[in-house]
Amino acid sequence: MSDSKERNGFVVFEGVSKRYKSLLALNNVSFKIKEGEIFGYIGPNGAGKTTTIKIMVGLLRSTQGTLHIGGHQMPDEKNEVHKLLGYLPQNVAFQEWRTVDHALRTFGKLSGVKKNEIENRIEEVLELVALPNVRHQKIVELSSGMTQKLGLAQSLLHNPKLLVLDEPLAGLDPESRYQVKQIIKELGKSGTTVFFSSHILSDVQDVATKIGILNRGCIMQIGTLDELKSGFPIKNDVTVVLSHDSGQWREVESLKGVTGVEQPARNSLLVHLDSETDIDETIHNLIQSLMNLDCRIRSLTPASPTLDEVYLQYVRRGENA
Amino acid sequence: MSFLLLFKDELNGFYKSKVMTFLWIGLPLMTVLLHLWSPNTGEEIPFTLLSTLLVSSIGGTLAAVMLTVSIVHEKTRHVYDLFLVRPLKRWHIVISKFFAVYTCIAIASILTLMLGVVIDYLLMGGAPEAILNDAIQSLAISLSMMAVSSSVGVLIGVISPSVLVGAILVIYGGNQISVIPMLPNMLNISNPVPFTLILGVLISCVLLLIAVFLFSKKQF
Repeated sequence: MSDSKERNGFVVFEGVSKRYKSLLALNNVSFKIKEGEIFGYIGPNGAGKTTTIKIMVGLLRSTQGTLHIGGHQMPDEKNEVHKLLGYLPQNVAFQEWRTVDHALRTFGKLSGVKKNEIENRIEEVLELVALPNVRHQKIVELSSGMTQKLGLAQSLLHNPKLLVLDEPLAGLDPESRYQVKQIIKELGKSGTTVFFSSHILSDVQDVATKIGILNRGCIMQIGTLDELKSGFPIKNDVTVVLSHDSGQWREVESLKGVTGVEQPARNSLLVHLDSETDIDETIHNLIQSLMNLDCRIRSLTPASPTLDEVYLQYVRRGENA
Repeated sequence: MSFLLLFKDELNGFYKSKVMTFLWIGLPLMTVLLHLWSPNTGEEIPFTLLSTLLVSSIGGTLAAVMLTVSIVHEKTRHVYDLFLVRPLKRWHIVISKFFAVYTCIAIASILTLMLGVVIDYLLMGGAPEAILNDAIQSLAISLSMMAVSSSVGVLIGVISPSVLVGAILVIYGGNQISVIPMLPNMLNISNPVPFTLILGVLISCVLLLIAVFLFSKKQF
């Protein structure tokens, strides 16, 4: 990859919009994904996630803006991009008459896998997605989860540089979800760029090295999970874990700088602090006060917002705008 | 390369989904059944003539419906998505399907006609030469009509939003357009077959070009 490509990103969206008659599905979307990044794309239903993905893989044309993948412009250099690309649609569908082997053989050949390599590649990808015993079964006889895994297998046949997955974890049982997440992580480590959308925020949190939040066709925020959290000061809370609870902890509510106390679980307190006062002084007073109240402190940590909270805040912010 | 692969793939699909069996056994079988159940008018209708009539009357409709239903069904189920994200030309998908269906239906027609000739040979010691000549001419005309019907099937498959609408349109429109190659036969021309064939090829090419253009512009 050339320096300019590295500098600009492997996938570069610049002001991409998509209009379906009166509906603006994507509005001036811009972002960059570097080579080897695992980009988690989240947003509520109808936010425009699938539209973004379909523009990326060349199934839809944008109304405005430019898109470059691996230095090639879409859709003008679609064929070059398609050589780099593996794609798993949201609802993957195959012709009813196909067996697993037949489907993988056809898609492998169409993706340019050489005749003498196809046999090994089919075995490898089926092993990778944990479907080794269904090779000669008809696809219609597979469960929806297995079909989803087969969809992933066909996208990996030609060792793509960019893997685009639309809701890859939907409809999978917990074990399969774990397997697929591991596959995505391993691909990221080996240098494959992965772009995936998901509704399951914990999965995005587990896998993605960078996250994009989309709402109503607009990118709300992009960054690592830590960047998203730090860029959005949700609240000044501390979690206190007690090794001994005297039951008198409610009295800390009267401390200056404390706006409330909750007990979300046994021996655990969530203390809300007033951001206007000196946080360090308030925490110092809080520790002293709890000790005076015969509560023994095991740990005290600033409460970090979860991805769910960050996501909801960004989505609500977009709705209020 | 991808065209040949897709063509073989479509043929494989017709073989595996038993479409070939129904066509290659079904069409000749229908001729036999029709012959057995046809009302006794006192005059025996030669098998060759009956099979020619059958092929020319339903061969084109079968091909057109097969293509329309198959394309609309695969389009609405997003089966093409996995093909369209690979480095192949979009027109290969449509044209390989056209040729696969046309090959199947043409083989079925030839088999039906050959069965007619064989049975007439066994029953009458050979089909009358005039009927045999007519049958060969009719087959040539039928093949060009089937090509037009198949092209209509592809075009309607590409533009139709649902299987039902597609089937209705192709049954209405396919039959009407497919009779155009027959027009030279209605004029006072000594040998209309070459004109029929040329007309069939020309109309098919135009319809397929429109279908390919629309398919390549289509968003999925």
